[in-house]
Parts: sequence; C-alpha cells; structure tokens
Amino acid sequence: MIYNLIFVALFLLGFYPIFMSNSLIKMVIGLNIMESSVFFWAISMSSNKGLLPIIESGVAEGIYTDPVPQALVLTGIVIGASTTALLLTLVIELNKLTGTIKPDEVKGLGD
Amino acid sequence: MNTEILLLILIPITTAFLIPLIDLINLGFRKGVVITAGIVESLISLHILIKYYEPIRAGTFSLKYHLGGWYPPFGINLFMDNLALLFSTLVSLSLLLIIIYSIGFIGHHEGKYYVLLFLMLGALQGTILTGDIFNLYVFIELLTLTSSPLVAFKRNQDGTEAAIKYMFYKVIAGLLFFIGVILVYLNLGSLNMAEIASNFGQITPEMQLVIIGFFLTSILIKSGIFPFIYWMPKAYSAGPSSVSALLSGILSKVYIYIFIRLFWIVFDFSLITEAGLSRFIVYLAIVSGLIGHILALQADDIKRMLSFSSVGHIGLIIAVLFLNTTAGIYAGLLHVVSHLIMKSSLFVGTGYLLQFTPSHKIDDLGGVAYKNNGVFVGFIIASMGMIGIPPLIGFVSKWFILLAFLEEKLYLGIVLVIGGSLTAVIYYFRYIYQGYKRMEVGEPKKERHVLKIFYREKVVTSIIHVFVSLVLLFGIFYKIFDLPLRLAAQNIMDPSNYIKMILGG
Repeated sequence: MIYNLIFVALFLLGFYPIFMSNSLIKMVIGLNIMESSVFFWAISMSSNKGLLPIIESGVAEGIYTDPVPQALVLTGIVIGASTTALLLTLVIELNKLTGTIKPDEVKGLGD
Repeated sequence: MNTEILLLILIPITTAFLIPLIDLINLGFRKGVVITAGIVESLISLHILIKYYEPIRAGTFSLKYHLGGWYPPFGINLFMDNLALLFSTLVSLSLLLIIIYSIGFIGHHEGKYYVLLFLMLGALQGTILTGDIFNLYVFIELLTLTSSPLVAFKRNQDGTEAAIKYMFYKVIAGLLFFIGVILVYLNLGSLNMAEIASNFGQITPEMQLVIIGFFLTSILIKSGIFPFIYWMPKAYSAGPSSVSALLSGILSKVYIYIFIRLFWIVFDFSLITEAGLSRFIVYLAIVSGLIGHILALQADDIKRMLSFSSVGHIGLIIAVLFLNTTAGIYAGLLHVVSHLIMKSSLFVGTGYLLQFTPSHKIDDLGGVAYKNNGVFVGFIIASMGMIGIPPLIGFVSKWFILLAFLEEKLYLGIVLVIGGSLTAVIYYFRYIYQGYKRMEVGEPKKERHVLKIFYREKVVTSIIHVFVSLVLLFGIFYKIFDLPLRLAAQNIMDPSNYIKMILGG
C-alpha cells in the first residue's frame, strides 16, 4: 500500500513540471521521474510475492521474488535512458537554433 | 518453425547496422546495399504469398517462429496470420518504393537516414509479427526512437520543435503501455498474447477495465485521436517529404494494426462494448475526423494541409473499425490500404514539387504545375482519390465505409464521410488552382536540397508515377483486395482461432 502511495506521489511529481515548468530541461527531468516511479512500482509489486521461479532440485523452498518483472524493468530502464538522451539532444539542437530552452519563447511548441 | 518471418525482422536491422561499416569502405556501395535489402525484404513477403497461397485462401494460414527454441507460453514467439500477412506485405512493398524514392531525394547525411529508416522497418515488421506483449512494447518504443530523429532530420527549428513535442506525447503513451504490461503480468503471470487472450476472463472485472483503460489511452495517444491530435500535424509536416509519407502513410497504419491486435484478439472486444467504451471511441474518432478536415481547410501550408487531412482519415478508420461489424472492419481495412497508397503518393509528389518553390506556403506555389506537368497531374489524381471520385481507390473505400455506417444507422459517421469529401474538394482545389495560376515561380531557397543529377530526378518522378498508377489501378481492380481483406476480417472476428493456432498445435 505504501509503495502504491509513493508511486502515485512520484508520478504526479513528474507530471507537474511537464505542464507547469517553463524549461524544457525540467520537463525532461519530470519525464524521467515519471519513468522511475513506474519502474519502482513494478519492482515493489513483484517482490516477495511467493511466485516460484524455476528452481533446481535441492534448493530450499520458500518465498521468492519473481525475476521476470526485473528483466522487464531492466529493459524499460534502457529504453528510458535512450529516450532521455534523444530528448536532451533535441533540446540542445533547439537551443543552438533559437538560443532558448523556454517553451513559451519558442513559437512552434505552442500550436 | 518458419524462418521466413524471422528474416523479415532480421534483414532490415542487420542492414541498418551494416550501413556505417559499408560507408567506411566505400560510399558508393551504400545505394546498392540499401536497394538490395529493400528488394530482398519485398521478395520474402512475395515468397510467403506464393508459397503458402493454398492455406492463405483456405483461411488456415499460420507461420510461427519460436525464438531460442522456447515454445509458448514461455519464450518469445513470432506469429503471422492473414491479418499480419496483409499489413506485413503492405509495409515491405511500400517501404521499398519509399527507399528508392529516398535515394533520389535525400541529399545530406544519407548514411544516418538509412540507418534510421531500416531500424524503423525492422521495428514495423516486429510490431506486426510479435506474439509477446512486452516485445510489442519494445518494438513500439523502437518506432518512437527511430521516427523522431527522422522528423528532426532537416535540422531546422520547425523539425526540432516537432520532434520534441512528438517525443513527449509518445514517451508518456509508452509509459502507460508499460504500466498495462506490468498489470497484465502481475495478474496472469504470462506475457504471451495468446495465453493472455485465453485467460483474460479470469481477472476481476474492475482490473480488466483498468488494464484496458491503460492500453486504450496509450494507443489513442500514439495514433492521434481527438484529445491528443496536437502532435500529429507538426510531426508529419516538419520532416523531409519521404519521412512524411512514411509516418503518415505507413506508421499510422501500424498503430491501427496494434489497435486491432490488442482489442479484438488479445482482449475480448465485448468487454469494451459492455463498458460502453466502443461507442464513446466511435464518437471521439468522428470528432477527431471532423476537426482534422476543418483544420485542413484553414491550413495555408501544403504539407500541413496534408497532415491535417491525415488526422481526419485516421479518425474515420478508427470510427468505422470500432463499429465492430464485419462490414465495418472490412471497410476500415480497405481504407487502411487506400489511405496508405494515396497519402504516400500525395506526400512524395509534394516533396518533388516543393523543390521549385521558395516555401511551403500556398501563395508561393503559383504556377508550379508548369514545372513538371506529369507529376502535377499525378498529384491531382491522388487528391481526387482522397476526395473520392469514382474510378479511384478512395471512392471504393469511402463507399464501403458509408455502407458500414448506414448499416449501423450512425448518421454522424455519414456526415463525417460526406462532409470530409466536400471539405476535401475545397482544400485540394485551392492548391490545384494555385498550381495552374500563370505566375513566375520564385527561386528555390538556398539551403534546401535541390535535385541536381538527372537520373535522380528520373527515379523520383517514376516512383511518383508508380504510386499514382497504383491509386488508379487498385481503384478499378479493387476486387483483388477482396479476398485478403475478407480473410483478415475473419481473423479479427474470431480470436479463438488465434489462441488455438499458437497454443494448441
């Protein structure tokens, strides 16, 4: 339950700068926080659930953490890193072309 | 195990990574490699069509490949049925035309362009063929990552802004999709689409709605339906024309394919109907279509006009698909084919014509028809198709859409089809009139790439003529699409067949 609350709080915290901030860099950071909150939630939901992974004989039975969500989150982190890198590249490019990173000052981002 | 469908994904991705190496050896080889890869990809598609002609006709066609030898429900599997075959063949054949067009069209940073283009082709095929929902997520993100640099490819302010906006929408949609995937896994313990489809009824009804809500919002954002249309026109118009044709013609159709795959086959469509969501989406899509056509009227930039018209047509396709009748699905699939051909031909034609003008604005287009009349006539034929003039393919698909709406007595949909055609008459004729105005055409802008070499001009114009003749030929012989579309619609309406083909066999 507490994990769910943290997830929602972090998600909204990431959502806020995307709409309210006046800096593209902060918007990218907000997107990153959103991604991290989703990954955190995915891991927390799947830990100590007792779902047995494929275990060799001779290993003690007990509650195990499901490994599949970890693999999914790892892939998600890689994708998140590459989208962030691409977005930051585009922001740098925009800064070179217009000399600003404020979305209000760039005419084309509004329409 | 059928290796053909693995090759459909592997060949473009391998080519993408080979291109930088080949550039190190000799820049002259690149064109040959690019064309060869495109042709090989199309040949594999045609090979599948010819080799399995009998099972395709019988409707029992299925090709499977299990990656790493892990059988479903454990490993990742690739799967092709009649629906996937239709989209996969369309993608590989139209991509071949666009690759050849690009050879005559893209004049700078060609190596990077082809790397992105081939990665995107691989991702498109992967999205169509995969049978694993997480793998689908990865391929969708790969589509976003490869298409946004293509949008920003001109390295000007417009393109960069469009790409940033595009990325924000798509990344948030991707996150929602990821949450959906995780929810499915936590509830069912499986990521295989057939396994999910057969066990989806075991989840509690509330959870089912939550999962469907996440996936639906995600794909609605990705395909650009009403509240989320604002990234679309700019992204489609900012890139080079070949990229616009690719995004508006092909990529948007693949998102429609994901729609169909997820909501008809993986999740039971009756769940969406029971929640009252299907009618809601029909109306949302109709509103989106009307907005697209109205905004196309006021656009005074030719590529922006074409992009807004795309918004209108995507709305139309989704509205008619979500009627969930056989006639509706048939009509929607037919419009997918016809919009793909017509919009691609309009964009490639525009890309050629714009080299003679100082800007994309309508006032600068005066007299452009006298520069190359053949291409401009092609542009006119394709736009007639968009309007829906009888012998062309646009008329056929709009006719079937009209019939599907009439069958459901959904009069707002009929307003969209007819109103869309009428507004299309106005906005296309504005440009055609401008094209034939006798006026001095201004000098091309300095930084824009102008086609200098003669044979490249020949390549570009011949591709435009191929596209336009397809618009004409398929309009007259639209019956050749009758069988594949009916078989694909049959696949869509009968999801249990999909489960049986993957899990039990």
